[in-house]
Amino acid sequence: MSIEVEAAPPTATRTYRPAMGRGWWTRKSHYFWYMVREFTALPLALWLLWLLFEIQRAGRGASGYYPPSSTPFVIFSVICLLFALYHSFTFLSLAGVILHFKVLDKPVASRLIVLSQFGGWLVASIVIGAVLIGFGR
Amino acid sequence: MAEKRITIRATRYDPEKDRAPRMQSYDIPFTDDAMVVLDALNYIKSHVDGSLSYRWSCRMGICGSCGMTVNGTPKLSCSAFLRDYWPRSVTVTPLNNFPIVRDLVVDMEDFMEKLKSIKPWIIRKEELPLGAGEHRQTMDQIDDFRQFSQCINCMLCYSACPVYGLDDKFLGPAAIALARRYNLDSRDQGTKERLPMIAHPDGIWECSFVGECSVVCPKGVDPAKAIQQTKLDTTMRFVLPYGNRE
Repeated sequence: MSIEVEAAPPTATRTYRPAMGRGWWTRKSHYFWYMVREFTALPLALWLLWLLFEIQRAGRGASGYYPPSSTPFVIFSVICLLFALYHSFTFLSLAGVILHFKVLDKPVASRLIVLSQFGGWLVASIVIGAVLIGFGR
Repeated sequence: MAEKRITIRATRYDPEKDRAPRMQSYDIPFTDDAMVVLDALNYIKSHVDGSLSYRWSCRMGICGSCGMTVNGTPKLSCSAFLRDYWPRSVTVTPLNNFPIVRDLVVDMEDFMEKLKSIKPWIIRKEELPLGAGEHRQTMDQIDDFRQFSQCINCMLCYSACPVYGLDDKFLGPAAIALARRYNLDSRDQGTKERLPMIAHPDGIWECSFVGECSVVCPKGVDPAKAIQQTKLDTTMRFVLPYGNRE
């Protein structure tokens, strides 16, 4: 005796798709610091735009160069500097994750890569600082 | 001495009755310090409410079936010990960023399609006959991809990824990590075949390196690393004159 079983047609299951709230980045400190890291680029970009504007004005000669020295602008610049340092710190720390290469068939340790990045940053800062001070004299 | 108890709050959703998920509390005995969240759910299903639905299988962090959000963090419920939460209550919700099918069960279809799309198998330009012998690998060659082969497809990384949460077209952490696993395999010659998926705007370039995928991975895989390294390699393939050499 054979039993014939008719296959039921597939039915669409109704699913519930939760929406991701706008405050998702406040749920965890990791998300929060990611947003801070990404946000730092915005004031930095504004500050760099201002710098380009100043350079363009300075091209007309010393008389055209009068950088703003108001207290709010100095505070904004200090905040931008802190953001730049934080952004650079996170970026260079990630170099150990991103860069991967071998020397003598052995992978270079992530820590060594990160240290070399920070070393390069320090050297570049000293060189640029020396050049700026040298030109300023 | 009074029996130690713990409150489990679980998401309930019946697609035939509920318009939206709701929470239900269960007060259960916490008899053994070795109890995990999955044990608590099994207790509820066996003794309190047989209608509670959730996925599980191996109970030992191997199969990747029992991923859920435990007190806001994506975890394998078989590896989340109640002692780490007690005396606070434990809130168990489905994995974030996935459609809910019922209670704690999510729809895995999108993840499975993405996994398949990156061709997670060894691709050879020309298959050698069996008589030619096996493809040999040194331990160093295995070490190149070993970490990325530990993935158990538990989807915790997708649940933790806000990029995927905001745009589910993103290929996602596990799929890209698996693609990298095969691209790094010395036996594989399929990098070019995987490139259209990986280098697609919805692939690696969609990732903005939140990094939470690597934090929640229960097997120590680092999908964020896989994605960033693939970005670098893909760029090198494009920039360097010998980049497309296979």
